[in-house]
Amino acid sequence: MAFEFTDTNFQETALDQGGLSVVDFWAEWCGPCRLVGPIVEELAQEYDGKALIGKVNVDNHPEVSMKYNIRSIPTILFIKDGEVVDKHVGTATKQALTEKIDSYLS
Amino acid sequence: MSFFDDYNLKNLENLDLIAKQVVEGFIIGLHKSPFHGFSVEFAEHRLYNQGESTRNIDWKVYARTDKMFSKRFEEETNLRCQIILDASSSMYFPHISEASSRKLNKIRWSSLAAASLMLLLKKQRDAFGLSIFDDEVRQHTPVRSSTSHYQLLLTYLDRMIADGRTEKGTEAAKSLHQIADSIHKRSLVVIFSDMFDRLEQPEELFAALQHLKHNKHEVLLFHVVDKAREIEFEFDNRPYMFIDVETGEKVKVQPNDVKEIYTQKLKAFKEELHMKCLQYKIDLVEADIAKGFKPVLESYLIKRKRMK
Repeated sequence: MAFEFTDTNFQETALDQGGLSVVDFWAEWCGPCRLVGPIVEELAQEYDGKALIGKVNVDNHPEVSMKYNIRSIPTILFIKDGEVVDKHVGTATKQALTEKIDSYLS
Repeated sequence: MSFFDDYNLKNLENLDLIAKQVVEGFIIGLHKSPFHGFSVEFAEHRLYNQGESTRNIDWKVYARTDKMFSKRFEEETNLRCQIILDASSSMYFPHISEASSRKLNKIRWSSLAAASLMLLLKKQRDAFGLSIFDDEVRQHTPVRSSTSHYQLLLTYLDRMIADGRTEKGTEAAKSLHQIADSIHKRSLVVIFSDMFDRLEQPEELFAALQHLKHNKHEVLLFHVVDKAREIEFEFDNRPYMFIDVETGEKVKVQPNDVKEIYTQKLKAFKEELHMKCLQYKIDLVEADIAKGFKPVLESYLIKRKRMK
């Protein structure tokens, strides 16, 4: 299972821990998010221990979404050592995401 | 069952109908729609901004969440495809008479393949144009994706099939140079030709193919052959009168006497063509007119996928 980021745990998990975090902003009613969702789940398993890959439900946790000014979903943020280093908006292929993650891990 | 039974080739006049049969059959055969990912795709929900068009608002989401989101779609990447047909006299081989049971020669086969390809392109909303050459460029249309354009191109193909004039030479090299210059850069160029253009001096032809690649076109070359006769040289061992349809020159020979040297020379040319295509990164597909159009559509789809 992909990690579940919330308004309360976001600071300590995604930002303070350092390393690479990949955050997928999604909502239940959003069709394209449901396309990206399973890919994020797979990536979370594959990169277990190397990067923290998880999701934020924008309906339940609006503060994080507000903070990063998320206006479109799905949006995937790549956070490295507390800084947003990349952002992907819209549907994405697994290959594209893998390439990005690999480039930030190396 | 022979391939010819699959399509209603009696009505060869109706290119559109046959192209439809070919394309639909092909799509059913694939089980999975090849169009997935080509058309406009719903990519994301975006917060609605005041003043934006209301057309794309997702009203279902609004009803459920009281939030206004617009649906955004991935931009359609349009492909431009120029289909180039060799209409020299050698393409009208084998000769089709009213009495013969044979229904396809190289030119008919190529026209059908081109029509099927155009239909597939039209379905995918890609733009396509048609160029026809023999000893010069006879027809050259810009690329469009409309149905009326498709119908117009079919009439050109029809006219070309009906034109059975002999002694039309091939100036493939010159024509390809001319076409290469007149089409938009980065197009997909699909060529149907038997490549019978001065087999002794293929350099010019290769230079023309290189020119296409130089203009950053992706090139798909269908080497159209009647394999049994032209490659394998399968004729009964009795005297035959061979006529060069492009020059009118006649030679009377016993097939078995020349078979070996003919097949050797042709093999050497084919190998050279193959090597050059590899070198220029041109996809070369040998298209035997005794087989179906599936390899044509498949090669196109593979190429299309790689171009995405």
